[in-house]
Amino acid sequence: MTVAAVPRPRLGPPPAPRVPEPERWTLANGLRVVFAPSYRIPHLAMRLILPAGSAADPAEHPGTASLVGSLLTEGTAQRDADALHARLDALGASLDTGVGHDFATVSATLLSETVAEGVELLAEIVTAPCFPQDETERVRAETLDALEARGDEPANVADDLASERVFGAHHPYGRPPWGTTDGVAGVTRGALRGFHTARYRPAGAILVAAGDPGDAELRDGLEDAFAGWAGEPEPLRLPDRRSEVGGGATVVWPDAAQSELRVVGPGLARSSAEWIPAAVANYLVGGSPITGRLGANLRERRGWTYGATSAFAGGLHAGSWQAHSAVGVEVTDAALEQIRLELRRICDEPVPDDELRSAQDAIILSLPRAFETPTRVASRLATVEAFGLERDYWERLPERVRAVTAEDVLRLARRFFAPERLAEIVVGGAGQASSSAAASSSHPGAGLRLRRGRAR
Amino acid sequence: MTLAPAAGVLRTPSRTAVLGNGLRVVVHEDRAAPVVAVHVMYGVGSRDERPGRTGLAHLLEHLLFEGTAHCPKGEFDKLLERVGGSNNGSTWLDRTNYYEVVPTHAVELALWLERERMAHWLPVLDLEMLDVQRSVVLNERRQTVENRPYGRAYERIFELCFPPPHPYASPTIGYAADLEATTLDDVAAFYRAYYAPENAVLVLAGDVDSEGGWDLAEYYFGDIPRGPGRPPTPPASPARSTPAGERRETLEDAVSFPRVHRLYAVAPYGSADWLALDVLAYLLADGESSRLQRALVRDGQLAQDVDTFLFPTVLAGIWGWVATSRSGISPEALETEVDEVLAAVAEGDVSEDEVRGAVRRLRRDGLAELASVEARADALAYAATALGDAAELDRVLAGYAEVTPDDVRRMAEQLQVGGGATVTVVPRAS
Repeated sequence: MTVAAVPRPRLGPPPAPRVPEPERWTLANGLRVVFAPSYRIPHLAMRLILPAGSAADPAEHPGTASLVGSLLTEGTAQRDADALHARLDALGASLDTGVGHDFATVSATLLSETVAEGVELLAEIVTAPCFPQDETERVRAETLDALEARGDEPANVADDLASERVFGAHHPYGRPPWGTTDGVAGVTRGALRGFHTARYRPAGAILVAAGDPGDAELRDGLEDAFAGWAGEPEPLRLPDRRSEVGGGATVVWPDAAQSELRVVGPGLARSSAEWIPAAVANYLVGGSPITGRLGANLRERRGWTYGATSAFAGGLHAGSWQAHSAVGVEVTDAALEQIRLELRRICDEPVPDDELRSAQDAIILSLPRAFETPTRVASRLATVEAFGLERDYWERLPERVRAVTAEDVLRLARRFFAPERLAEIVVGGAGQASSSAAASSSHPGAGLRLRRGRAR
Repeated sequence: MTLAPAAGVLRTPSRTAVLGNGLRVVVHEDRAAPVVAVHVMYGVGSRDERPGRTGLAHLLEHLLFEGTAHCPKGEFDKLLERVGGSNNGSTWLDRTNYYEVVPTHAVELALWLERERMAHWLPVLDLEMLDVQRSVVLNERRQTVENRPYGRAYERIFELCFPPPHPYASPTIGYAADLEATTLDDVAAFYRAYYAPENAVLVLAGDVDSEGGWDLAEYYFGDIPRGPGRPPTPPASPARSTPAGERRETLEDAVSFPRVHRLYAVAPYGSADWLALDVLAYLLADGESSRLQRALVRDGQLAQDVDTFLFPTVLAGIWGWVATSRSGISPEALETEVDEVLAAVAEGDVSEDEVRGAVRRLRRDGLAELASVEARADALAYAATALGDAAELDRVLAGYAEVTPDDVRRMAEQLQVGGGATVTVVPRAS
């Protein structure tokens, strides 16, 4: 039996993305609010973003910011931890705090019918946590166990080494945001309270909300809930990152089934004017897991890996770039060689027009999906606000992506992807012969998150 | 406009038509964003594999991204990326799916690609393609199972909970030796048997109306002939015949802390008992005030983490819990504590308020999960595949509100009676 061939359809013009125009206002105490209403789904996604990340950790106690974040929901001036959790769980509300290098972000997911009370609880945990002794010691002990467990996974060890090689251990971005065993073990409750007092302040913080607030009056509700909170944190000064990327590192992992590979170097702060052209250049190398050059080579042509990708990570003050894969141990060296070849190629040869055009189309035309749900809208708006991007950043993104030229790609590739200026990290089997740099013997770090797999 | 007319429960209205060749076409209209999810789900999964060829369903899924007669290798992803679409596929015990999420103008491209996959793939299958994707899948297995702490526990606990020849006994990713042994003939025969319109459901969700969606489906799929008729699903062996605790094993791994995994075969997806088990899972471990979080983590300080889960599987539901010891705490202590908590629930110590909170938390996660048309298309396709009708999804989503404290108590009681398997992972003696 044969089925007739149907010609590939010709497509009409693409739809324009619908970027919501949020309402913006500032509370009397200086807290900036951005709200994008939508009424399809009866829930509200909120993000309260505070300049309270690990970059503000006291030097002697890395992990302070993270511990403070974990303890926000462990008791407040108004109620103890048990009462607080009982109330949250009865409402079906979730309040989770994530602490990165730059920011602490409290994410709230609320059913529309519980928004009024959810907002009050959000304000309570952010403005009035009290760090009770018993809860603090329990969370500290859990964190220490989690830090130890994190070192069991080769991918985590590779990630931590990669950051250290780019920024240096002296730089906050060179250390994991969750801190060190010594830092977490040693920080006092007084220091935790002091960190909260200094960094959790309304001026400089941003509240993003997207979705359906139900019957709640968000403006008045927020003004009331956050009344009595005041002040502004000191600006942070970060040291310079190390002047040159550190040498490669090999960590031999007993019985490894794969080698975790990271090829890393400096990148850009998220607010850099070069961010968009650099993102286009990265898309060509490894922004797409299947069609990017790394994925096409290491996965689709050779079958050496389940995924090979690359990405810029942009912070408030600086950033990094890395290529990332996990390959069969027996092809460790060969895979590194192919990564080098691909990086060399994009530095040496102008990208063909149709390849560049595909990458631009992929980025531009995927924007409608990026604003489909309240959670995605909240994320997009949070990026703009937290990193101080132009308010019409998302509206202007298409024209700015379209303006990127093959010359831009070549220039940025030479700046960021030149393999001789990058550090190669191997955690797993046979290492590369060229690197003799010893890896750190202890694996600081922790993680309370699972790495996202590359699906399929 | 809202998708939640009453009580904050999401509704996913859909209309289904059946083409002459048996392909079911489900359209769910939601014009909020200029985006359409195109989702094809085949009623085949790892349960349909024969011994010695585990992993075949998933390996075939990988191969079905490698081009077709009219779409050369590599073009599949490129065509979709150029229109701003995403695409992916996945394989599980009972089903295999392929989906694209595209801006509205590109819906026909996605349909054309799925037509190619259903009708014009076999001619391009060759050994080179098989060998490359076999290697990719072996690396996927290394990355997700072999090179991950505790990674082998789930494989082992399924073998114990669903002893062979139960169709759920083997891992969807397959055993490495079976993947190595798979031939082109195995792949072609499996494709012929299962990749036919009458064994599939097509869902269009998003910026599309039902008449327009059905017309497009007729154009792109209407002339594809029925298949030879799929083999029956292998019969499920009685998985619940032995009491809890009898099937257990301890594995050593390069880990710092013991972790206990417990799995039960329970009522299948969509049944009233399955809904009650989902509520029980939330009541026990979602939220810091939940019973297991308090008993194991917060008050007991025995565990770093504890979680419960329920899989929406067809031959049996799969309910379980997993917990990781704190420093110096034995895994036995975790088991004892969880069993005591389950016993208390089974004795009737559950209030209306506690159930109401659990149902609200379920609803919170369900709304967030089903906010995208991609996720709604998946859920509708799954309801059509597993329950026979996409409209069953709304019945399932609404059904949580009917769960009573006594339903929850009864489920805890059933778990106590048996059917469980336990795998404990302990640090390797060095």
